[in-house]
Amino acid sequence: MRKSWLFWGVALVIGISVVFTASVSAQEVGSPEKSLEQRFDELDQEVRILKRKRELDQEAAEAAKKAAPIAKVGSSGLSVESADGNHIIRLRGILQADHRLFFEGANDVRNRSDQRAGNLNEEGFHDANNTWLLRRLRPTLEGTLFGKYDFRIMPDFAGGTVALLDGYIDARLDLAFKIRVGKFKSFVGLERLQGAADIKLLERSYVTNTLLPNRDLGIAVHGDLFGNRLNYAFGLMNGVTDGGNISTGPQFSGRKEFTGRLFATPFVNDDSVLRGIGIGVAATYTDIKGERNLNFTDTTPADATRNGLPSYLTDGQNPFFRYNGATVADGMRLRISPQAYYYIGPLGVLSEYAIVRQDVSLSTGGSPPEGGPGSNTVITPNTGKTLHHQAWHVTASYLLTGEDASFGSVRPRKNFEWGKGWGAWELVGRYSEITLDADTFKNPSGTAFTGAYANLSDSAKRARSWAVGLNWYLNQNVRVAVNYSETRFEGGAGNGVAPINAAGTNVQDRPDERVFLSRIQLAF
Amino acid sequence: MKILQKIFITVSTLFIVISPIAAHAEDITLLNVSYDPTRELYQEFNAAFAKYWQKEKGQTVIVKQSHGGSGKQARAVIDGLDADVVTLALAYDVDAIAKARLLPLDWQKRLPHNSSPYTSTIVFLVRKGNPKNIRDWNDLVKPEVAIIPANPKTSGAARWAYLAAWGYALKKYGNDEAKAKEFIAKFYGNVPVFDTGARGATTTFVERGIGDVLVGWENEAYLALKELGAGKFEIVTPSISILAEPTVSLVDKVVKRRGTEAVAQAYLQYLYSDEGQEIAAKHFYRPRVDAVAAKYAGQFAKLNLFTIDEVFGGWPKAQLTHFADGGVFDEIYRPK
Repeated sequence: MRKSWLFWGVALVIGISVVFTASVSAQEVGSPEKSLEQRFDELDQEVRILKRKRELDQEAAEAAKKAAPIAKVGSSGLSVESADGNHIIRLRGILQADHRLFFEGANDVRNRSDQRAGNLNEEGFHDANNTWLLRRLRPTLEGTLFGKYDFRIMPDFAGGTVALLDGYIDARLDLAFKIRVGKFKSFVGLERLQGAADIKLLERSYVTNTLLPNRDLGIAVHGDLFGNRLNYAFGLMNGVTDGGNISTGPQFSGRKEFTGRLFATPFVNDDSVLRGIGIGVAATYTDIKGERNLNFTDTTPADATRNGLPSYLTDGQNPFFRYNGATVADGMRLRISPQAYYYIGPLGVLSEYAIVRQDVSLSTGGSPPEGGPGSNTVITPNTGKTLHHQAWHVTASYLLTGEDASFGSVRPRKNFEWGKGWGAWELVGRYSEITLDADTFKNPSGTAFTGAYANLSDSAKRARSWAVGLNWYLNQNVRVAVNYSETRFEGGAGNGVAPINAAGTNVQDRPDERVFLSRIQLAF
Repeated sequence: MKILQKIFITVSTLFIVISPIAAHAEDITLLNVSYDPTRELYQEFNAAFAKYWQKEKGQTVIVKQSHGGSGKQARAVIDGLDADVVTLALAYDVDAIAKARLLPLDWQKRLPHNSSPYTSTIVFLVRKGNPKNIRDWNDLVKPEVAIIPANPKTSGAARWAYLAAWGYALKKYGNDEAKAKEFIAKFYGNVPVFDTGARGATTTFVERGIGDVLVGWENEAYLALKELGAGKFEIVTPSISILAEPTVSLVDKVVKRRGTEAVAQAYLQYLYSDEGQEIAAKHFYRPRVDAVAAKYAGQFAKLNLFTIDEVFGGWPKAQLTHFADGGVFDEIYRPK
């Protein structure tokens, strides 16, 4: 009896468990309306939807990536570029910290009202100043908008003043046709067109620094033709004195200066030893009058330019020639400059010649020496003269570490890193000469040295310079350079501070300049 | 001195004149910025136009294409994409470019039929056998139906589809806007994934096998049948739909700058030529020219169509009410 109760009790429990489990299983399969196939289809759709959403998200991310601007910082400076590459803005710069050590040389202050030079020697010269200086401190903002409109804004903070050197827009409508407007390097001198960070010696030659224009305001069309074999440039500019750098303000002469340059690199696309040849010619033409009613009796180099005429500097940046205060530019100024370079392997040679034909006259009037208002400047009749000054240079460079020489930057094969690489080392040398027209130092009739356009006892008629140097490129941004330069003059000094006599017999040669220049440069 | 001056001026002028001429003796290129599904249409049309232009003028024309959602394309042109012509899904998108001063505000008057060389409408593409038994718009709001339209914020087709559905709802509910809004909310509640353009929506439905019905361009539906097999899909024509009028225009600021005005104008006018209309019809766009329309009448279903002007008072009003930020679409749609 007891066993039968036990049996039926166990059977009941088992039976209830089975029924309960079956009911749970039925619920786990799903509601009775959806078949397994329907459920499978739903799950399949959900998976497809998830995959498609992921696909669309990836497409959107790709599209966003394509539209995102690209910022870069590196040896070429800081740049931000749009995803399509049509817009780019770059921040670059150059800093040059120099030292000038004069073994011999003069800072010419004779017969000037400027008393700042201190003690003079018996010839009236003050020793050239040994000095540290910031030669160039130029942050540059440049870029391209809409793929073809380049711009460049470059001030210079060196020398304790701020000056705008470059401020221009360049519309690159086509490789063969570009228009540049603003203030920029005139398309004239070959060495001038070389970047300040890339020039071989610390200072440019007489051709560049004395005779040919630096920067000017105006408009130029330029381009490259025949597969980059011919570069042309024609400009209509305000006009600037020899070696001059125009200010950005309005000019007092309405006359414009035409500039033109053709430069051919006929073998640039060929695999030939002649590939590195470039040859060309440039010219400028204007017909100008000097400014009137201005105080130019204080003949500092800056003031001297306001009569439409320049002053010239040595390699050590000391003036060795200036026109007399009464001399004004009066008529045509024509410059012609054939130019060439050749680069082959580590060797580079660059050479230019320039001749300037300058019409001048003497004038009266102006302001008194102490400054203040004076009288109208009047051209003295029959004092017009056409002067021809000329200069030339040959500059050679050789990369000792085997890099290829070029017109542009040197990129070391191995950057300097102690024990691993020595950077790039370059030997450089130059011979440069300038000859002023002999008529400059005589009166209009050519009979005396007094009453001349420039005084031979104050200004040299010829300067001959040679320079050698060594450049060490630690990497493509940092360079250490040392130069030794020696310059000999003809004329440029007198007997003490006495003015020149009519016969010109009290003229001596200005002391030689021997200077050791050094520089540390950062450019990016 | 004067002679030197003259020499300078002459030589420099010669260079200035010769250089651009030499640089520009080359092929003419045009950029046609279009909406998503017109790839095949313009591939054939561009070849035909190039042949025509070569014969007429002896010049080689290369037409480059850009495709995407109509609204997105319009924004790209406003942001600087150098389109010589735009061929977009709806006039409102071209109006936006006109407001950005890239073309005149009265652009629509410059070409026949309000600058709409062909029309289309919105239909349904369903899977073979129509397993969800979709016959009309009200079938699309059933809970078990998954709809694949494109996103009305970016796609012209999607905006036409939205307005077609709204127009149906207004008719069904006796112009009750509140009920129409409720209908549209249910409609978009059945959308599992949004593409930015009509072609993307076709890809989702046809190639990825998602959804029960593609709601989009009539021409896309026919193309899907033709290209991907009539045995896989069917077209369902709803009881009522909207007359969709894609529009075309020069982008005046660009063509004047690029010097392509004459050829771009001729390109758009060629859409109205017999050859242009035939090409449109072959790609299942409803032609405007009567003779060509009559020739291809049998190809298109007869539909009860309303215009945007009749029901919504025009595109500016429809855009502002439904598709602008904070409009009806933003109110009813929440992403899943």
